Amino acid sequence: MGRLILTPAAPIARRARLNPQRLVLGLGVAALLLFVAYPLLWLVLGAFGLPRGFGLAGFTRSFTRAANVMPMVNTVVLALGVGVCSLLIAVPLAFATARTDVALRRVLNALAGLAYVLPPYLTAVAYIILLGPNAGHINRALAWAGLPGFNIFTGYGVVFVISLHVFAIPYFLISEALASVDGAMEEAARMLGGSRWAVLRRVTLPLVAPAITGGGLLAGVASMALFGPQAILGLPAQLVYLPTRIFGAISSYPPRYAEASAMSLVLVVLTVAGLAAQRLYLGRRSYVTVGGKGVRPARWALGAWRWPLGLLLLLPLLLAAVAPVAVLALAAVSKVWTQAPTLDNLTLAHFQAALFDNQTAVRGLLNSLKLATAAATVAVLIGVTVAYLDLRTRLRGRTALDFLAILPLGLPGTVLAVALLQAFIHPPLVLYGTIWILLVAYIARAIPLAARSANVALRQVDASLEEAARITGAGWVASIRRILLPLIRPSLLLGWLLVFIPSLSELSSTILLYSSGTETISVAIYRLNDLGQLEVVAALSVVLIGIILVALLLLQALSARSRTSVGTASATG
Amino acid sequence: MQRTRITTPITRRRLGGLIAAAAVAGGGWRPARAATGADVAKAKAEGKVMLYTSLDTKIVDAVIKPFTAQYGIKVEYYRGGSADVTAKLLAEADAGQVRADIVDASDIGAFLAMKQRKLLRAYDSPATATVAANLKDPDGMWVADRLTQAVIQWNTANAVPTPAHWEDLADPRFMGKLAFFSSSNGDGAPRLYTLATAFGWKLLERYAALKPLRLTSPQVMTQIIESGERSAGFLTNDNIAWRSKLQGKATDYCFPAEGVPTELGAVGLPAAAPHPNAGALFYDWWMGAAGQALLADGGKYSSRADVAPPKGNPPLSSLKLIVPDNQKLFTQRADILDRLTSIFGGEWGG
Repeated sequence: MGRLILTPAAPIARRARLNPQRLVLGLGVAALLLFVAYPLLWLVLGAFGLPRGFGLAGFTRSFTRAANVMPMVNTVVLALGVGVCSLLIAVPLAFATARTDVALRRVLNALAGLAYVLPPYLTAVAYIILLGPNAGHINRALAWAGLPGFNIFTGYGVVFVISLHVFAIPYFLISEALASVDGAMEEAARMLGGSRWAVLRRVTLPLVAPAITGGGLLAGVASMALFGPQAILGLPAQLVYLPTRIFGAISSYPPRYAEASAMSLVLVVLTVAGLAAQRLYLGRRSYVTVGGKGVRPARWALGAWRWPLGLLLLLPLLLAAVAPVAVLALAAVSKVWTQAPTLDNLTLAHFQAALFDNQTAVRGLLNSLKLATAAATVAVLIGVTVAYLDLRTRLRGRTALDFLAILPLGLPGTVLAVALLQAFIHPPLVLYGTIWILLVAYIARAIPLAARSANVALRQVDASLEEAARITGAGWVASIRRILLPLIRPSLLLGWLLVFIPSLSELSSTILLYSSGTETISVAIYRLNDLGQLEVVAALSVVLIGIILVALLLLQALSARSRTSVGTASATG
Repeated sequence: MQRTRITTPITRRRLGGLIAAAAVAGGGWRPARAATGADVAKAKAEGKVMLYTSLDTKIVDAVIKPFTAQYGIKVEYYRGGSADVTAKLLAEADAGQVRADIVDASDIGAFLAMKQRKLLRAYDSPATATVAANLKDPDGMWVADRLTQAVIQWNTANAVPTPAHWEDLADPRFMGKLAFFSSSNGDGAPRLYTLATAFGWKLLERYAALKPLRLTSPQVMTQIIESGERSAGFLTNDNIAWRSKLQGKATDYCFPAEGVPTELGAVGLPAAAPHPNAGALFYDWWMGAAGQALLADGGKYSSRADVAPPKGNPPLSSLKLIVPDNQKLFTQRADILDRLTSIFGGEWGG
């Protein structure tokens, strides 16, 4: 591959003598090879038993032991369940907010976003507080009213909590599709005498069907990777999914890398199959009218139903975004979370513990802030490099770079961790036991997102601006520094925050890669939850959610600004 | 503090030699400046100790505090279940990045594994003189620091019938009312194996048939019993049950007369420790009379013959302790985890 990169090719590349472009391309490829390809290689080698030996035992054990086969079945069932449940929430919500004048539209939309950025393991912890079989607040209320309760420690509970998180994926996809469907078709159908429902069913729905199916698939795929809720709710219920099974195989002693690697490959196959199905479906059934600026259809006036429907749609969002935050906040200031929030029961001691006394929590908070900052910065740099080479040059090798940059999408956090662990636990490059292995994991996970957001940012700036600079004598570096970067800075900041937020709360990879001294806030939460210190967990969660909310507000302010700057940029371009 | 009601009659000692010395629990401990074989000046120069432990953090915090006050050496710790602690250390050793200066885990099998991989160094601590010879590794690689008895705990308000024997918990009336613990990497396995070897695997199968709730740690298990979520639990840590009762929660516990599985915890010094002198100094403190007394204050039975049992608990000599064959536990670990997975389902790390 190295030779491929160094072959002189594109006319632009030939112009410069020292060719900084190829240097950057080389660095980009090297970084991605090291962070993504090299670990993946070790994942495959590990599955064959290397470096301890060579054999197929990892695979045969994966498929013959009941303890391994059950998790595979459970994982597929989970994905199907979550896919369906997510759509049950997302479809009505998307249609109502995009096509009707239902009340609370902006609130509903904002809460869907919040539900997505809340770390799902916090939602899981919150639902132990709400729906713990006997002690949970809701279950106690139900019992008081003489009604049967709902046990969150079941397969249904796992599907429920994960759906409350990932429904946002189909919701935003369907909303986007609805927004891009040309309203003229719906108007025409209406004029030809179709009733509202008939138009909805026979015109709009088929047009956005690919978004619905694709959204459901993506939600299912996402659910398979969520170690947090699978562990926090599934393990007590004796329900094992692939990520928790892989975790068990590695975190017990002696660690069984071959088996864990082989099962990781199974999880990769499931993930990639889901993603491929989604692509295929979208590709075959492209919604024909999407494209040019269509007519925005008139919103369906709901009349007296505006508020009742709005409140009905608010319910799942309250469950997904408001209730978890509220109960965690309440538990964080309660001496004992199971007791009523009376004045006697109020305390700030758990914040004292979370922010000052508990070693793991204090280290975790600092480490997470450091890691998320560094990961976001590096990932955005790599993302810009990938996007720039893709859009602005015709260097050979950039396709390989592009491919490497989307690879991590097919790697659930647990799988990436198993790969990194085996790659960096042995020479030549030993990173295990240091904080660097976590940084590599976070960067690798963030690269697809960073590359995509940089791609969007670059597309908004016309290349002619940089060309003009080059023609008037500016060097390549100067044209980037003085023209391109200032123009895309707001979008880059946006991308930075998009990486920062999930990195801050990353658990799936971290739980397998952290060491003493490199604990993160997610590890502190997970470990303290293991010890039943729910109040301290809640305090720590409140701190984490607080940081996320600040970042989210910044994000919103920035995206509002970048939209206006995009407008000016494209106007000048 | 009220005295714990001992529900078991005092029985003959079954394990003879092994526990004998530890069990001769005398009067009180003598507060004395711990003797040390470590180089204090070098330890202070290192300035820091990294402790890997599976002990409850409340006890760990209590033991660390006076040590830091005395020597000015900071103690950081990594706390996880015994399997976490062991797996972490083994992985760090693979990477040549050992971070631990001292390791403590409630699993002798783990120490046999570490010893086999030559990860430990021999240390003859003056603080371990009063620990019986059979509670120490003959090569000085590890020494038992504590004994955890796996007891029956129940909620005094809703456990009907009140259990006193392992057999009682197999009563169909406990259908859906039992709890037990094991983390996803098999922390509860040694004691389940011990119980099974003493009273038959059939007993575990009968428990499993009653659909017991499995919790990830004894700490969570005790909360579940305190809240009444489950009426009774088998094989929880005696110190956790002890603390729950001490705090006035509606729980009680017993050491069944027919025998109670005991789990030896041990402590050792990693050969590649980054702060070897500070680690050794802390080892001496941890195993010293004062350090061990703090463990006992937190509800732990010390391995030292001269440290009294936790307040209100019977001396070990009055209990019939069942000690597993640790060598078997170590060599047959995979099979044991497999068997437990097939009986109870779920994740055992096997």
